[in-house]
Amino acid sequence: MARRYRGRRSAQALVDRLATVVIWSFALLALLVVVTVIGIILWNGLGAALSPSFVFGKPQAMWEGGGIWPMVVSSFYLAALTLALVIPLGVGAAVYMSEFAREGRLVRLVRFGADSLSAVPSVVFGIFGMVVFVIYLGLGYSLLAGALTLTLLNLPTVMRSAEEAIRAVPRSYREAALAMGCTRWETVRKAVLPVAVPGITTGAILSAGRIVGESAAVIYTVGLFVRKVPWSPFRPAAPMAANIWHMYTEGALVPDWFRVASGEAAFLLLTVLALNLAARMTARTVRKRMGYRD
Amino acid sequence: MPAISREWLTRKVLLVAAMMVVVGLVTVVFFVAKEALPSLSQAGPANLFSSVWDPREGRYGMLVFLVGTLATTAGGLLLGTPLALGLALFLTQVAPRRPRELFSRLVELLAGIPSIVLGWLGFTVLVPHIRSITGSSGSGILAASIILAVMIVPTVAAISRDALEAVPASYTQAALALGATRWQTISGVLLPAAKHGILAAVILGMGRAMGETMAVAMVIGPASVFPTSLTSPTHTLTTKILMEMGESTGLQRSALFAMGLVLLLLAMALVILVRLVSRARESYAVIE
Repeated sequence: MARRYRGRRSAQALVDRLATVVIWSFALLALLVVVTVIGIILWNGLGAALSPSFVFGKPQAMWEGGGIWPMVVSSFYLAALTLALVIPLGVGAAVYMSEFAREGRLVRLVRFGADSLSAVPSVVFGIFGMVVFVIYLGLGYSLLAGALTLTLLNLPTVMRSAEEAIRAVPRSYREAALAMGCTRWETVRKAVLPVAVPGITTGAILSAGRIVGESAAVIYTVGLFVRKVPWSPFRPAAPMAANIWHMYTEGALVPDWFRVASGEAAFLLLTVLALNLAARMTARTVRKRMGYRD
Repeated sequence: MPAISREWLTRKVLLVAAMMVVVGLVTVVFFVAKEALPSLSQAGPANLFSSVWDPREGRYGMLVFLVGTLATTAGGLLLGTPLALGLALFLTQVAPRRPRELFSRLVELLAGIPSIVLGWLGFTVLVPHIRSITGSSGSGILAASIILAVMIVPTVAAISRDALEAVPASYTQAALALGATRWQTISGVLLPAAKHGILAAVILGMGRAMGETMAVAMVIGPASVFPTSLTSPTHTLTTKILMEMGESTGLQRSALFAMGLVLLLLAMALVILVRLVSRARESYAVIE
């Protein structure tokens, strides 16, 4: 009896060790995937992405050596424009949800709306933006049409991250402000929002990364290729992500399209990684500075 | 009393901001449905849900693309879920502290990579590899599934991790105290307790895979027919919309919007499914 028990136990120990090995190897496989993906993209494109003549150069259609400067500007311009629209809206919504709304049908409706909106595929946002902003409102392919589309696309995530930041503000802050005779809105404006700003900023930087990387919602609202830097929001533009798609579909016209697309992919990847890093660093400095001493 | 009216006004403005997600959702559904209407009324559902896509002959069947979407999604989940779950178990149960931080950082990195960049990688590296190994065109459901698996791993791993961490420590401690091995604890206690959360994670991953466009478009290889193998070109709903929206008019364009409407409905169905699952999770927690 005892022997059989010991046998079963050692069998279990063997299974346990095997499971540990399997779990470790899965994790290492995931690590390998991440390193391979980033490694290959940088290996193929870093040479171009780090040369100033490429990043700040004019794009060429018929001969080699073109740059991507208008695309770089388009990407950042689009991100800035979208953030200018989505942050007030998202933060306003978050303030309402965390400070004013009472649990009920309305709150449930807004939550369902946010969840559904964040589940909508980006290509559907793209064709919606094309119909409504590009054609119906007559904006044409433009940065503004793209920014409006991306505002809708990013609203749920900005709202969620802002709500988290606002809810993380200690209750005592609100109580102190209210006790000093502030109205609810004054409390929010003077006691809650200043403390939540860093958290909101982190969320906004992450959204900027998502906007810069977005292409399916941008192709039919902003455009794929431009020669000159689009300074007006009513002009067509070509964010890097959309331009990679352009190189893939119609690049054969450009003799060194492969180099351009690889360089653009590497530069885009570096941009997004830098934004993610910036978001994490903001979050960390803030946590340190606030110290959570209370 | 200006202060009060200002307070009232601010509150209303904020309410409008909060309602924007609902307004936005309704607007998106409305306009996509409106654009899809001509194809529904003129071509008819029988035509739209057939398997022949030939706009010149007036055939707007989306069945091939629907099957493509379901197949690539299933493939992505099949490859991605075990990896993500293994990673979540690693991060919560197995990993020592330092590797744990390294691994979770790297998974976050993966989540940040734009889909167009992954697609470019698939097109330049993955497809040629599959081509040289199998001797086929290389693009198709297999390549798309691999890329989708890479894309959903961070999502599924992060949410599964939350679900595993939400299991009270007393559960696992009790199992370990009874002499269970770590794997017995994981398989007998932890996974059953977290199963609803993990299911929600998989459904959300499914939503991402279904809606993904760029990365799939670059590796699925354009063809509007059912694939003959895992490595023969076909299309999904999203990639078909992407490829043809630019140069289509009339009923063809309307049919593409009908595909968009199908995608919208599928996405919303998944959201409702997640809600049902998490409600089940709550009631489960109460019984516990």
